[in-house]
Amino acid sequence: MILIKKILKFSKSIKFGDWFIIFLFCALIVISTKLLWSLPQGEYLEIYENNKILATYSLNQEITKEINGAKGKTKIIINNGKVRFSSSPCPKKYCIHQGWINKANQTIVCIPNKISISIVGAKRKYDAINY
Amino acid sequence: MTLSTINITDRDHQIAKLSAIAVALSLVEFFFPSPIPGVKPGIANIIILYTVFKFDLRMGIWVSLIRVFVTSILLGSFLSPTFFLSLSGALFSLLSLIIFRNLNPKYFSLISLSLITSLAHIAGQFIIVRLWIIPHNGIFYLLPIFIVSAFIFGLVNALVTSKLLKLNSKK
Repeated sequence: MILIKKILKFSKSIKFGDWFIIFLFCALIVISTKLLWSLPQGEYLEIYENNKILATYSLNQEITKEINGAKGKTKIIINNGKVRFSSSPCPKKYCIHQGWINKANQTIVCIPNKISISIVGAKRKYDAINY
Repeated sequence: MTLSTINITDRDHQIAKLSAIAVALSLVEFFFPSPIPGVKPGIANIIILYTVFKFDLRMGIWVSLIRVFVTSILLGSFLSPTFFLSLSGALFSLLSLIIFRNLNPKYFSLISLSLITSLAHIAGQFIIVRLWIIPHNGIFYLLPIFIVSAFIFGLVNALVTSKLLKLNSKK
């Protein structure tokens, strides 16, 4: 209670220009969050086996895919815009623990089974350009 | 042979005392664990704001730079990346103080100044990080967190400083 009273007292000493600066600051927070934290939603899923592209699927469906990797069968679930590994023969299961991914340019890699998936947005973004 | 003497004025004593407090505060801050790595409250800046408002800008610059150098020497990070980070942060916030201290006191109080300087501090550190330590655009992803923390701690520091100034003007 004392703290609230003190904060109220303090807020009375805030002058007009201070409110202006506070407003600018909040605007900056909102703008920077929107600009920097908005990855585009993914459109397609690319499945790689041994670094070679195996297949491309649309994300807007509900299917389960089984892929034969170096060690055994990997199950990948596509569920209306998001993807995850649901089972994998690898020992540590890092790929499964990554959980769902849904943004463009996100990837999950399973090194023991040599399978990786990555989401591609409507516009392809380049990770390297060569002249 | 001429005898060289150093005249120690009251002003020097004042600077020494204030920078000692600032160094102590940044040491306390160093040993406190931070919930988010890289986000620190920057409580030593309370002393610098206090110095600028109670005395003048020149003294604030002295205290700020002495704090950066002495803290880095005490922690053993002198001339390491950490040192350059805190130095660039301090220089940027001092620069913003020099630019913005002439704001009309009728409309702007030390809250504005505290917010502006904390933002400048973040900007200075971020420029060094982007150009030198992690030259990758991926770190811009972290920027909103730093801006929010600058906002919160800028407000808190302003609150504490205004309280300190009030307490000392009563005496």
